[in-house]
Amino acid sequence: MKPISAVALLFVAVLGILFIYVSMDIPDFGDPCSPANRYVNLHISIDAGADGLEDSLRAGIIPDELSSRIKARGFPSPLETEYTIEEVEGGWDVLIAMEELLYPEPEKYYFLKEEGNKLVVYRYSIPVRWEEKCEEEIGVPNMVTAGLADYRGYDTLGETTVIFTAGIAVILLLRRRGKL
Amino acid sequence: MNGKKGKIWEENVIIETITRLMVPFIQIYALYVMVGTEGAGGGFQGGVVFAASIVLFTVTFGISKGRKRLPESWNAALNSLGLYLYAGVGLLCIVLSLGAAQYLNYAALPLSQIMSPAHTRALMISDVVEVGIGLTVMSIFASIFFDLAWKGEGEKNKNKNKGEKEVQE
Repeated sequence: MKPISAVALLFVAVLGILFIYVSMDIPDFGDPCSPANRYVNLHISIDAGADGLEDSLRAGIIPDELSSRIKARGFPSPLETEYTIEEVEGGWDVLIAMEELLYPEPEKYYFLKEEGNKLVVYRYSIPVRWEEKCEEEIGVPNMVTAGLADYRGYDTLGETTVIFTAGIAVILLLRRRGKL
Repeated sequence: MNGKKGKIWEENVIIETITRLMVPFIQIYALYVMVGTEGAGGGFQGGVVFAASIVLFTVTFGISKGRKRLPESWNAALNSLGLYLYAGVGLLCIVLSLGAAQYLNYAALPLSQIMSPAHTRALMISDVVEVGIGLTVMSIFASIFFDLAWKGEGEKNKNKNKGEKEVQE
């Protein structure tokens, strides 16, 4: 056996082990708690021990301390926009009306959760909106098509351009007649 | 090399009949995949299926007959027409909403005052954007196939002479 094929075998083995590890690490499909699908931790937190925190959240008011910390991180702050709070299992949803042209209704933006002594802020990721509002916003029963042509319209335009460019390149290089 | 008659392909009744029967159905299936958003598929897949029907026709009947069905001028026009449709709808959204909407925000078209914005988006996606993608993909794939497979009228003799020379030498 040549040394280079031994190295190649080693690489293949390492790649195989990596793939097995990655496939074991992927959360189950549709798992509501999988972080990749549901929400992202923003690492903003305040002490949850203060009196009246739950009551104020139930009354629909976010403490000013939390709002200012969110603002300091550059996310849309509850201080400046109108918001509503809904109590759900395990925490609170904060719905914020984003400044969109045709959909001014509030959408799920933050998720507040008590962990230990702290109240932690999570941000809902895009697939949540995709799942919940796709049919209402786009009117297409097929979520994949809606994502392909609307939410990721720029991406698809680029893909079409890539195919077009490939065809033009083949025409320029391989066309064997004088006239185009 | 290609027999005494100099033919590149041989006529075969079975293959020709089957192809004549299959090509229209393949093209209808391609349109079904391309247009409409209810099922699986989309512009890319439908365009490739459509190009496959052209390839099947050309393989069976020879390249000059196949080129007659999809002439070069049409091919060159369709190449860019699909992309123009897609990008043009995006530009139309900006122009017709007087700069209020983003590029490719289909709901900003004035059509949405007749229908609901959601239905405007659905109509634009299924009938303009996907068809544009399909046209580009179909004509580009057909063009690549013809460019790779072409042996033009002028080149035929040249190649023949080359082959004869090689045989003589």
